[in-house]
Amino acid sequence: MDLSVKNLWVLQIAGVEVWITETIFNTWLIMLFLIGLAVIARIKLRKFKTIPTGFQNVIEAVVEIFDHFASSTLGEKLAYIAPWFFMVFMFILSSSLSSVFGLRAPTADWITTFALAFATFTLMLAMGFKHRKGDYLKSFFSPHPIFFPLNLLGELAKPVSLSFRLFGNMLSGTIILTLYYALTPVFVQIGIPVLLHAFFDVVFGALQTYIFVILSLMYIRGAAE
Amino acid sequence: METLATVIGVVHIAAAIALLNGVTTTFGQAKIAAQAIESIARQPEAADSIRSAMFVGLAMAETSGIYGLLIAIIMLFANPLINTLVSLLN
Repeated sequence: MDLSVKNLWVLQIAGVEVWITETIFNTWLIMLFLIGLAVIARIKLRKFKTIPTGFQNVIEAVVEIFDHFASSTLGEKLAYIAPWFFMVFMFILSSSLSSVFGLRAPTADWITTFALAFATFTLMLAMGFKHRKGDYLKSFFSPHPIFFPLNLLGELAKPVSLSFRLFGNMLSGTIILTLYYALTPVFVQIGIPVLLHAFFDVVFGALQTYIFVILSLMYIRGAAE
Repeated sequence: METLATVIGVVHIAAAIALLNGVTTTFGQAKIAAQAIESIARQPEAADSIRSAMFVGLAMAETSGIYGLLIAIIMLFANPLINTLVSLLN
């Protein structure tokens, strides 16, 4: 039974040790898969017709559903950042689904989730300063300048809570499945884990992906309006 | 050695206590779900917006439970106290 993130290789780049962990390797695998999907969609895009069929139907439906979701949560004015969150959505969803195939989910490592939450935080600040300029800075001192430390803490808690929520959910699924595989005899390890995988990876993964994206969108809307 | 055993035992009890906040988290989530179902039953045409608001509320209420889980995990698998104690005993 091993719950920690394993280290695969140690590279020496200009005298600096670079550790390639399981998380980094799996992240690159998922990125490769998503990039391949994007390239296939781009090549097929040339042959797209007015009346969609098959593959084109799926791609158009997915993009349209996400665009509608983003513009109804963000408002029409801010909907131009939707592609970034579509990427985040696809990445988190496929990384939580990757543990079905026996990989350790990259989102079960705090590094990945914190990177995504920190990107949301940076985007939130940038959108706030871009759309409200001085007013956004003033909102930190909103009722009275005495509240500045509290407002600052409240803003800094956002990426932390956002990353820990996703990390905690994915890690709990990983721990329960690892415990199940380590503690049970071999003959119950065929068939029954499918239910556990369906519950902890597919259902929780999809739900937490949705929640991560919708909370990010709501934070950005709150900062920019 | 006995000190180490005592510390590890206390750490396990502390992790169990940290997970007890799941009780209150579950009560909060149950209240959210019950209210959402009640309002969907009263106004079925608003089901979509109520459902998305319910999921966001559930996620917000879940945060404290997740923090408890993380504290328990840190205490069990990455406890700095135990590492210090081991290096002191050697």
